[in-house]
Amino acid sequence: MTRSRAVFLTALAAIVIASAGGVASAWSAPFGEPHPATNLSASGLSGWIFAEQAAFYRSLSGFIRAAKDDGAAMWELFGVSLVYGVFHAIGPGHGKAVISSYLVANEETWRRGIVLSFVSAGIQSIVAIVIVAIAAVLLGTTAKVIGLTVHLVEIISYALVILIGLRLLYVKGRGFLIACRALTWRRTPDLAFAAAPAAVTLSTQAFRVPARRPGAMTMRGGQCQIEGCTAQVHGFHCHDDHDHHESAWGHAHGPEPAMLAGAGGWRRGLAAVVAVGLRPCSGAIIVLIFALAQDLFWTGVGATLIMGLGTAITVAAIATVAVSARQVAGRIARARAGLGILAMRAIEIGAAALIVAFGAMLLAGYMASEQLWMFTG
Amino acid sequence: MIKRTCCCCAILLLLLSVNRAEAHPHVWVTFHSEVLYAADGSVTGVRHAWTFDDMFSAYALQGISHAKKGQYTREELAPLAQTNVDSLKEYDYFTYARADGKKLKFTEPVDYWLEYKNPSLILHFTLPLKAPAAAKAMQIEVYDPSIFVDFAFAKDKPVSLSGAPPQCLATYDLPHQPTAAEQARLSQLDATPLDPSSTYGEIFANKILVKCP
Repeated sequence: MTRSRAVFLTALAAIVIASAGGVASAWSAPFGEPHPATNLSASGLSGWIFAEQAAFYRSLSGFIRAAKDDGAAMWELFGVSLVYGVFHAIGPGHGKAVISSYLVANEETWRRGIVLSFVSAGIQSIVAIVIVAIAAVLLGTTAKVIGLTVHLVEIISYALVILIGLRLLYVKGRGFLIACRALTWRRTPDLAFAAAPAAVTLSTQAFRVPARRPGAMTMRGGQCQIEGCTAQVHGFHCHDDHDHHESAWGHAHGPEPAMLAGAGGWRRGLAAVVAVGLRPCSGAIIVLIFALAQDLFWTGVGATLIMGLGTAITVAAIATVAVSARQVAGRIARARAGLGILAMRAIEIGAAALIVAFGAMLLAGYMASEQLWMFTG
Repeated sequence: MIKRTCCCCAILLLLLSVNRAEAHPHVWVTFHSEVLYAADGSVTGVRHAWTFDDMFSAYALQGISHAKKGQYTREELAPLAQTNVDSLKEYDYFTYARADGKKLKFTEPVDYWLEYKNPSLILHFTLPLKAPAAAKAMQIEVYDPSIFVDFAFAKDKPVSLSGAPPQCLATYDLPHQPTAAEQARLSQLDATPLDPSSTYGEIFANKILVKCP
């Protein structure tokens, strides 16, 4: 138990540090020089991070210029790009929220979380490079066209995020309901859930069920009341021979560990990271075009890829926190059979709902999404 | 313990959602503004000169055809200048004026053009007031509430007056760092936008004050 407590404390500490970085990142740089009589009550660390990332970004142009005359300056540029990527990813975008929610909802391992973070950041860099390569280098289009392209890609990305969230919500909602029913009903509700997945409509249908049966979640002494079932490591694994039980659990809880490692599992994870990674970072686009204007397109490509690496480090760190938090929660849940597992299912549903919410908010208002077209149409 | 875990998860999710809502500047503008006066001593408008940072300048110039490498004439940049002012309309030209505390309205910009001084683009434009305003205290603010654009006064010559009565004096005020409470509101701007009558954004404004006693 001491080990799990240590993990918990580590996770908590990481969250505090990360939130310190997040909470105040909206201030500092935009306001020019601070007023002499400033009130520095907000976290110094987060302000520092935000100021640093703005400073790094602004220094990039100088390093790109220097790289034109001096090959050694290129390495400095790459170094700065890496650090900028790390700091920059604390700001909006870069899929931290969606990836973390996805990992929590899908009961993923930290290893997978890290891989998915790196893949999504890699895709993000490559999308920016491909857009600039085609639109600017090959076609010589204007910033307006590039802005519209980015805009279109963003919309596709957000729509995909919503779809993935809805699918997860459906799967997890089903899992939750099955866990609920399992606690009270002796009969397996195979009829209600036998239908093939059709995310949107079915998820709403699924949510209606508990409303009809208030108080369905009665438990006795934290014991699973279903016959032949014991509350075990990953939720309810029924050891009786009822086939319909098995199928119901298997689908509702998300993939079994063996399936995760398989090709199907990776492909599913890939859908999420592609959806997130599709949206290019406007900072990368600007850097690439600036480099192109200096006849240093390939240097810009290198800097963008390294920036992506920095972004991946931050996203992976936050994803690891999310996965750890979930694992700690899972460990505790295991100790409290019935309610604990219900709580885990609820957390998964919450995380899936968050993915939908993020996608919807992004799509509806582009929120703080980076409006490259502010000046260029 | 389970409570604490839930708490932990809640913090994490909150952190992730808060993070989403923050903007960071990708465009830096150093600006000079000139307050324009009519012969009768009333304010008629503001003439801006906005200098964009080098990276954004390169971005905006992408694909603009020009005869000489590294040089852009005013004519070559005319379509881009048109796009600029058209796009800025949606953002009220990031310029907000008050005469003795009363809000003033601007009409569409006139006399707008782009100038390229390697490595920066400079956008010149004049914002006429809908109706000339005579005021003892005139306040003009320049800022982007969404913080995508970072506005800062030009160091050498931030503000000037054109045709103002001799007793008028122009001063300017830099924005202060937001307090913790202001910061908290700031991070929610995108989730809970300000209502149009709110004066919240003012705390991040670059303020020009003209007093004509």
